[in-house]
Amino acid sequence: MSEVTVKNLQADVQSLPVRKVNTRLMKLKRALPLFIMMLPGLIYLLINNYLPMFGLIIAFKDINFAKGILASDWIGFKNFEYLFSTRDAFVITRNTILYNGGFIILNTVLAIAVAIMLNEIKNKLAKGFYQSVILMPFLISMVIVSYLGYAFLSEDTGYLNHTILPLLGLDEVSWYSEAKYWPYILTFINMWKGIGFLCVIYLAAIIGIDQEFYEAATLDGANKWKQIIHITIPSIMPVIIMMTLLAIGRIFYSDFGLFYQVPMNSGAIYDTTNVIDTYVYRGLMQLGDIGMSAAAGLYQSVVGFILVLVSNYLVRRKSKDNALF
Amino acid sequence: MYRSDRITNWISHSFLLILAAGSIIPLILLLSSSFSSEASILKEGYSFFPKEFSFAAYEYLLTNSASILRAYGVTIFVTVFGTFVSLAMTAFLAYALSRRDLPYRNFFTFIVFFTLLFNGGLVPTYLVFTQVFDIKNTIWALIVPGLLMNGFNVLLMRTFFMTSIPEPVIESARMDGAGEFRTFFSIILPLSLPILATIGLLQTIFYWNDWFNGLVYITEPSLFSIQNMLNRMLSDIQFLASSNLGTNTSSAASQIPTTGVRMAIAVIGILPILIAYPFFQKYLVKGIALGSVKG
Amino acid sequence: MRKLISIMLVVFLLLISACSPKQESSTNENSESGDDVPEVNMVLFSGSVPKDLKIVEDEINKLTKEKINVKIKLTPINIGNYVQQTNLMLSSNEKVDLMLVASFFGYTSQAAKGQLLPLDDLVDKYGSDIKKVMDKDYLNASKVAGKLYAVPTQRDMASASGIMMRKDLVEKYNIDVNKVKTLDDVESVLKTIKDNEKDIPPLVPSNPGQQPTMIYNWFDRLGDGLGVLPKYDNKLKVVNLYETDEYAEFVKKMRKWQNEGLLMKNPGTNTETGANLVKSNVGFSYLSPLKPGVDSQESKNTQMPMVSASLGEPVSTTFGVTTMMWGIPQSSKIPEAAMKFLNLMYQDKELVNLLSWGIEGKHYEKVSETLVKYPEGVDATNNGYNLNMNFAMGNSFLSYIFEGDDPTLWHQTDEFNKSAIKSKALGFNFDSSPVKTEVTAVTNVVNKYTIGLENGVLDPETELPKFIKELKAAGMDKIIAEKQKQLDEWAKTQK
Repeated sequence: MSEVTVKNLQADVQSLPVRKVNTRLMKLKRALPLFIMMLPGLIYLLINNYLPMFGLIIAFKDINFAKGILASDWIGFKNFEYLFSTRDAFVITRNTILYNGGFIILNTVLAIAVAIMLNEIKNKLAKGFYQSVILMPFLISMVIVSYLGYAFLSEDTGYLNHTILPLLGLDEVSWYSEAKYWPYILTFINMWKGIGFLCVIYLAAIIGIDQEFYEAATLDGANKWKQIIHITIPSIMPVIIMMTLLAIGRIFYSDFGLFYQVPMNSGAIYDTTNVIDTYVYRGLMQLGDIGMSAAAGLYQSVVGFILVLVSNYLVRRKSKDNALF
Repeated sequence: MYRSDRITNWISHSFLLILAAGSIIPLILLLSSSFSSEASILKEGYSFFPKEFSFAAYEYLLTNSASILRAYGVTIFVTVFGTFVSLAMTAFLAYALSRRDLPYRNFFTFIVFFTLLFNGGLVPTYLVFTQVFDIKNTIWALIVPGLLMNGFNVLLMRTFFMTSIPEPVIESARMDGAGEFRTFFSIILPLSLPILATIGLLQTIFYWNDWFNGLVYITEPSLFSIQNMLNRMLSDIQFLASSNLGTNTSSAASQIPTTGVRMAIAVIGILPILIAYPFFQKYLVKGIALGSVKG
Repeated sequence: MRKLISIMLVVFLLLISACSPKQESSTNENSESGDDVPEVNMVLFSGSVPKDLKIVEDEINKLTKEKINVKIKLTPINIGNYVQQTNLMLSSNEKVDLMLVASFFGYTSQAAKGQLLPLDDLVDKYGSDIKKVMDKDYLNASKVAGKLYAVPTQRDMASASGIMMRKDLVEKYNIDVNKVKTLDDVESVLKTIKDNEKDIPPLVPSNPGQQPTMIYNWFDRLGDGLGVLPKYDNKLKVVNLYETDEYAEFVKKMRKWQNEGLLMKNPGTNTETGANLVKSNVGFSYLSPLKPGVDSQESKNTQMPMVSASLGEPVSTTFGVTTMMWGIPQSSKIPEAAMKFLNLMYQDKELVNLLSWGIEGKHYEKVSETLVKYPEGVDATNNGYNLNMNFAMGNSFLSYIFEGDDPTLWHQTDEFNKSAIKSKALGFNFDSSPVKTEVTAVTNVVNKYTIGLENGVLDPETELPKFIKELKAAGMDKIIAEKQKQLDEWAKTQK
């Protein structure tokens, strides 16, 4: 098998004109230090990312450990069935897409708004302060965020039920058993935690805009609002597109900590908190079936990959420069 | 015009102030509940002003100080060492990819990009790291899998190099007879402090907050990190919620620390990173500023 | 483009060649650790990892090396991560020779997937003491498809539903615990507390977010509780618990209790154990499975005197017997040594006590032949060996009893085991893999409703029918049919 390929490759090389080969070799030789530089990183990717990809065959097997992974029976797409055959399949797919889609839109809009405002603040001290504080939640792990969430939302002891709602004259709410509140809670927590970093990225892009554009616009009598619409947003479009494309690629993955730890794995709210990742994890815990989780992982990757290719293609058609590749 | 500037300024200030308050208030609740007595949390609920002030949680931590200090040590070592190696690897790879004269540049870039989308899943990754490299229950298990280098950072840094290091600089270095490595260390790196600080901060956060590798690869208690300790408590609670233990394991269940203690551990888990981060902050925006603009 | 593809192919081929030698290298590693004394890696769950683990391990090794020429290594893992970590260990053929397995950690599917070795021959050959100590019915309770994949430990094999109450309040209000026999009796007790002790919720959950019917039951769960055997018999006809009248009655009662303020307001997401709540003075009682010595065990957890009332006869089911067993993973290279060690745990008093209590003089002191206590200056919080897994160490009847407990505890437990009603399905293990899709979906539905229903938070009038409908939609009937089929097959082999 390998010999054939190598021969093909050699044939490939030999078919080229000799001179071209020489210059190519020269080029390769000159680039040798660069290749050496890349080596540690590429080896790491090979080990950490590419080697495990062979494990994807598990998705198509009925694993029996007495036989070993390679010798286990092939069962085609049977492991994928549970992802599609139940009512849950619809719920988890819907939740995953709606949440992540919502996160992409809301976080992007808010982060850009905050970034623009931060840019408007001329007082250096205040600017530094806002920026540091808004970024703080980003530094905290989801495990701790779930502790925090519980401190606010716990039925008996939480700050909301115990202090804020009575203050407003409202009844207590069983947060962890009422599914209808969770889309808001999770979106809020996601924004609270993620906005800081995203905002820094956009702020960075805004700072990079040439000041002359604004000066010219001011001379023309454009107000702040117009400047934002016509200069700021178009200038940071490439960054917006890149961040969004990357997010779209991961639209089928969800932040496991957010959807598992923060709702305290409470059964009553599965309708609005269950996403593909948590569903698969619970299945794995319940049944210990690695075939099923491998199938889910493959499904997430493939869909993400296709989505990125498609959206990249769409972007590319409008503007080649903005496309990711 | 002057007036509209004032108004935007005013709006911005008030909006950001609210946002900043929203970001910091929950942390204060965390802090104050770690100073509340257990009974007052369970009876009176969480509160910004402890009804019964108590150091009990911290005293409990002090009696376990040996294991907590050790966990701190593990976390700090992993964070510092991991961040450093990660930066080096990321910078090398990103720099090579940023060079327009690199042969097969698109192919290599794609190799990096592809890892952002596809992964083999937990079990195969586990197999590779335990069977091929046998790093289970070693400190490397907390450093290497998944965290050491990340394609996103590589692409970010590559863009920085492409946009902010003018090609003539590299060209003239070559004319002076400097090798690639010398160019990299004496010219490129000093010009790249902002992006190094940015990626450094990201990596520091990843390492500091990582509990997953510990969960998967570590059973040896001397290698637990702070986040692992927190996560173990949380997962024990969740386990109790979902299983019938019978009478036999209730003594194991009774060893789970109480609310106040969990909060106290959370506090000592986030403090160091909150303290460390202003040092990175200076470079942060600038680093991304030049890195994220696509070149 | 063609070039690109060729290069990618070469890279992939490199990957494969890098991949293949891994099998060999891993086997080499495994064999190298055994100098001449095989080392048994023993994986178990526990609440904590004792700091003197190594010292105790060395002491154990001195003993076992002499007696059976085996060394051991203890690998404790916290309960919450146990499933995940052992799953990975079993999936990757890691060197594990003895593993604590349990019904609630997916024992049946581990056996069905070939992750555990069948032990019948090994027990016959090296396990004479296991056979001597264990009641045959209990030993056979762990059989899956006619084969033994794990050996249960000798301990309390049955349990009775019960309620654990604060003794001081019970005495204050002259409650006669012997007269508390049914839920109605419990109700009147709880009302007394509610009326007189305004700040103390009368009944709190025993474990965070746990369904009450996990502890208060009148049916054999048959493993996962999806399809049960009411009254532990029901002529071996599997039914859907949630459709039975008894269940409807139970959740209606809980609704009533919740509305009358007899239950904690929303127990579903409480993160404290019942014992912790009682300790912090925010609970009077919690449901608890009963066995001899349970009062003093719980008193230790709550740090105040507790007293229990029984709400049912002691019953033993497969699920109960199989909550603590030792299995030998398929990947073990030294199953004989593991079995020899396992057998020694059912016979050797010294070994059992080393595993349970640690080293005499350092971690415990003898008070009498059967009773022990902590040495001077040592208590539960600073004890260097606090594994607290006495019930897992083979024959726990060989271990010392802690001062304060009844010295005849093991004798009582033995009697308790003998007198317990044995469920008609004792010995049946359900393999859920043929219906795994349905199990995942149904479990989701169960988690969604039961906690709310059984704590009276959801209104059974409207929610119970909805619950049953969703169960059916998720495939409950298919699971029950499969379970019935397996149960019938099993019953045939029992005659």
